[in-house]
Amino acid sequence: MKHLIPEFEALKTRLPPGLDSILVLPCLRRIQDDRGYIADEDIDGLVEYLGVPRIQIEEVLTFYTMLRRKPLGRWHVQVCRNVSCSMRGAEPLIKHLSNRLGVKPGETTADGRFTLSTVECLGSCGTAPVVMVNERYHELQDAQSLDALLEELK
Amino acid sequence: MPEIFINGQPYEADPDQTVLQVALANGIYVPYFCWHPQLSVAGNCRICMIEEEGRGVDIGCNMPVKAGMRVLTESEEVRSHRKAILQFITLNHPVDCGICDKAGECVLQDYHYEYNGSPSMSGDPKVRSTKFYDLSDRIVLDNERCILCSRCVRFTHEISKSHGLGIEQRADVSLVRPSTDGSFRDDPYSDNVVDICPVGALLSRSFFYKARVWYLTKTPSVCPGCERGCRIDIWHRKPEWQVQSLDTGENTAIARITPHENSEVNGPWICNKGRDLARIFERRRADGAMLKGKPASVAEAATEARRLIKAAARPVALVSSWGSNEELEAFRASLGSMFTALVKPDHLPAAGEVLEDDLLIRPDKNPNTGKARELFGTAPAVIPADADLVLVWGEGCDFSKIPAGARIILLGSWLAPENGHADVFIPVSIQTERSGHYTNCQGVVSGFEACFPRAPGVADAEALFAQLAGAAP
Repeated sequence: MKHLIPEFEALKTRLPPGLDSILVLPCLRRIQDDRGYIADEDIDGLVEYLGVPRIQIEEVLTFYTMLRRKPLGRWHVQVCRNVSCSMRGAEPLIKHLSNRLGVKPGETTADGRFTLSTVECLGSCGTAPVVMVNERYHELQDAQSLDALLEELK
Repeated sequence: MPEIFINGQPYEADPDQTVLQVALANGIYVPYFCWHPQLSVAGNCRICMIEEEGRGVDIGCNMPVKAGMRVLTESEEVRSHRKAILQFITLNHPVDCGICDKAGECVLQDYHYEYNGSPSMSGDPKVRSTKFYDLSDRIVLDNERCILCSRCVRFTHEISKSHGLGIEQRADVSLVRPSTDGSFRDDPYSDNVVDICPVGALLSRSFFYKARVWYLTKTPSVCPGCERGCRIDIWHRKPEWQVQSLDTGENTAIARITPHENSEVNGPWICNKGRDLARIFERRRADGAMLKGKPASVAEAATEARRLIKAAARPVALVSSWGSNEELEAFRASLGSMFTALVKPDHLPAAGEVLEDDLLIRPDKNPNTGKARELFGTAPAVIPADADLVLVWGEGCDFSKIPAGARIILLGSWLAPENGHADVFIPVSIQTERSGHYTNCQGVVSGFEACFPRAPGVADAEALFAQLAGAAP
């Protein structure tokens, strides 16, 4: 985390003085982009750098499901299970992916290639069901298209 | 001063006050869970709903006063909101009052009877959560009972400043949890969160399943743990509910200690040491007078002490800094002219004890040093080498510092090896058996009352001093 401090300093200049504790969230996001997850030493480093109580960082980390405490697989398969996607068959798709990858949502395959997650609305209801793999949307999915996608990613 | 109308009656209000504060200050009942007079406004529980005529309902704890505003605290609309809010608050609450220590002093119970009174409308099973979660070795948390008012969290952020607690996760799986750096475990004020918890979520280990509160009564007292002299309530069994069989020791046992709220000394808080006074008061007592270790009556011992005092050429007295104002004054009136009196610290800070902080804790671990020094001077408690009689009142005397050959009169309360070596030993009563006053480090005088009858064979120091001086039989 130490090598990111110049970036954090730049963020600080955009804030009125005395509001450094607001930086908890952007700093955690930046650390996660960098490392892939938030390690214990990142929490220690941030407590020291921002001077915030440790519990404040722990609250933020547990509140936001997007912040991770463990590394992900190479491909992060996120299936939307909100209303539109569920009505258009997201639940069977989750089951299908779960069987195919041999992991439950929230788990990573033993070879470290895939992490399966369920997420709430991805804002693409018109093309439901939607699956997001890393930063890319895959719309109007069904079991066949997902199988093809997994083959491609292997 | 703006004037506002609550339920049609005019009240003077401070422009900085909220409507809830004005109502409470004038004795108007408004329920509240998350609001606390010493903490910031969180506004999360929503139970303090108040109707502003013509504007609808909003939370009273965050409703600023406006001149001429008209509010209603018990209108139909307000009551129906409160009922709905209680349905929501008890949605996942286990309603296990039958086995909850808070029952009898729980505001959730009170409000439920007052405003809801009907079973849950929800058909869904309640969310199960952690039971018996140890927040520290002093406090146990039941997450199912927790209504997430965040009073405990705000206490650690705003009052004790340990930042030891937070709310983790979110929605119906939110959990009060301690910081992993252990700051809550090390917070010397942590037990206050048990008092301010409006429900039975935070419970004290030392009072866990000990007693139903309606069998207990409280006696106002003063914490002798340091020179702050915080006002406390000592809880013990009601006289009408004395135990007749099994452990009758329960009748004279301290059940728990809570702050006695006041604005002069400690507000609504005390430190954890104040909660643990039973460890001080319930040590094994010295139960009989002795002459050089041989049992004697208090009268015989007093006669012998009187003889020693008359015969002494250079008598020195070590005065207790745990004596009450009344006892100290009685000592000066009866014996002050006969002795060179030195004030002795009865207790020194224990290993690991917090010495001092900027909230309540003070470095002198005795309640009445100030008053004792006012009466007997500030000279250090060093016994002169030519002393031929030393009267020791209370604890904290290093007997190896008493000159060889000097006779010893010891007035003590606890069982100690020194008792049998003194020429005269007379047991005296302790704070929970007598009334009196202490003067704290700010000069504020606080009174304490007797919780229990005096132990048999024990003298009251105040009367004993006159007896030693020869004035009384």
